[in-house]
Amino acid sequence: MTLVDTLPAGQREVLLEVDNISLSFGGVKAISNISFDIRVGEIRAIIGPNGAGKTSMLNVINGFYHPQEGTITFEGVPRKRMRPHHAATHGIARTFQNIALFRGMSTLDNIMTGRGTLMKRNLLWQALWTGPAEAEEIEHREAVEKIIDFLEIQHIRKTPVGRLPYGLQKRVELGRALAAEPRLLLLDEPMAGMNREEKEDMSRFIIDVNTQFGTTIALIEHDMGVVMDLSDRVVVLDYGKKIGDGPPEEVRNNQDVIDAYLGVPHE
Amino acid sequence: MFLTDPFFWEVVISGLLAGVMYSLVALGFVLIFKASGIFNFAQGVLALFAALTLVGFMDGQVPFAHVINEALGTNYHHWYETPGGGDGAPIWFVALSIAATTAVMILLAWLVVKVVLKPLVNQEGIILFMATIGLAFVLEGVGDLMWGANIKVLDIGLPSGPSDWIIDQTGMFVNKLEISAAVVAVILVVSLTLFSQYTKMGRALRAVADDHQAALSVGISLETIWWIVWSVAGIVALVAGIMWGASSGVQFSLSLIALKALPVLMLGGFTSIPGAIIGGLIIGVGEKLFEFYIGPMIGGATENWFAYVLALGFLLFRPQGLFGERIIERI
Repeated sequence: MTLVDTLPAGQREVLLEVDNISLSFGGVKAISNISFDIRVGEIRAIIGPNGAGKTSMLNVINGFYHPQEGTITFEGVPRKRMRPHHAATHGIARTFQNIALFRGMSTLDNIMTGRGTLMKRNLLWQALWTGPAEAEEIEHREAVEKIIDFLEIQHIRKTPVGRLPYGLQKRVELGRALAAEPRLLLLDEPMAGMNREEKEDMSRFIIDVNTQFGTTIALIEHDMGVVMDLSDRVVVLDYGKKIGDGPPEEVRNNQDVIDAYLGVPHE
Repeated sequence: MFLTDPFFWEVVISGLLAGVMYSLVALGFVLIFKASGIFNFAQGVLALFAALTLVGFMDGQVPFAHVINEALGTNYHHWYETPGGGDGAPIWFVALSIAATTAVMILLAWLVVKVVLKPLVNQEGIILFMATIGLAFVLEGVGDLMWGANIKVLDIGLPSGPSDWIIDQTGMFVNKLEISAAVVAVILVVSLTLFSQYTKMGRALRAVADDHQAALSVGISLETIWWIVWSVAGIVALVAGIMWGASSGVQFSLSLIALKALPVLMLGGFTSIPGAIIGGLIIGVGEKLFEFYIGPMIGGATENWFAYVLALGFLLFRPQGLFGERIIERI
């Protein structure tokens, strides 16, 4: 345990800072003037009713969307307009609300793609498949096997993921994101559509990732029970605006948040 | 019994070898379709352009000579004489020319990605398809301007003529050129398959073929992948161009062979590399057998349409092709 780990989440070093972000599609404002931060080693939940702008927020962090206003600072470096594949090379990995796996490929190959950003050998070596490229391939394969063990999916190693049940697909997707050894892991509704048992498994994996690897996690989740149990701090969005930010127990008692979830009419 | 008739086997073998040519063109289609969902109408022209460029390098032609001479009143034709004179060019020179042509195809792929694909990213498939039709016309025009429209002889020193050994052994006439084409095609397909199965870049190619967004999220650059895929398709086109050019001369009708790849794809499925190969072989053998055994009864010249009718049959009964992915939508 380092000093950082023992500090409460709110006092740790800032990993990612979202400052006054606004995003609109044509005339529709998806996000307006949102600021919050994600600190090293915490589990940060982003919650809110449907259409609140949670996934848009994740897409902004991930570089899929480009906000019209505001800045994002990751590891102290304010970033310019970023192309989506650069987020991954900079240490941000993610999963998707509707699973986005490579359906025709095996579990193993899917997770191997996650290590792509860590593999450096050039195309020529790869084409010859000898020397450094071969050694590299073997080294990364070992790392992937560790992830497979960790997620308890040894039995489906060679199965094309398109054939797997939903819960396992979600797990493989988590594995692919973990394979990149990300410094920030974005999970978009990791437990959507799961039964209670699957949710418990997934929660356990998320906590283990956080404590064993020290990975910082930002997650979107609808199940309030899960959010309250897992997260260190919660940010609440509604209609593209931030209406709450703080530790779970504080957010739970926030009147705006209660209104948003119970559906008080907006003026 | 016709199975013991050497003539039957001669027809089958010549069909298989013709099928290899179809497969090569179809392979280029499949590669691009898998990685980008684009049906590349320009694949046939790519083969033509590659063959023209190779001939240009081998003859030492000055590109755009006609245009330059018209504009400047000069009289350039050739940079250099082909070494070896009339006895055929030496191997090192052929290898050098092929390497130079490969470089041109890779450069062309880069241009296509930057100029055509990148501005159209996220557009409908039909729009990209139209863009490749445009590309086909542009390439044909540029090829014409660069190297001239006359029919050219491509001789890279591949063995040709009937193989004496096979005649001695079996009494069948089999062209050596077609055997070399088959060997080259097999090598190409095996190495492509190994590359896509066992390397990081191969995995990235398959990943992009499956899901663009997910591929981006693991740090795969779509542009780089498209560049690689179009380069590989360009190299496959070069091989196809060499083989077709060596057997029937490099001429602009070469770009029409692309149309023969369509029934091959309908048979094999647009997304399957083995499908492209098997589809090509089936069409090749099918049309030759039909031509020789049934053709005479219905007036001949069946090779022009047999492939399309076969493809139509497939569309009726198995629209995803023999090896294509069956799409089951969840509703």
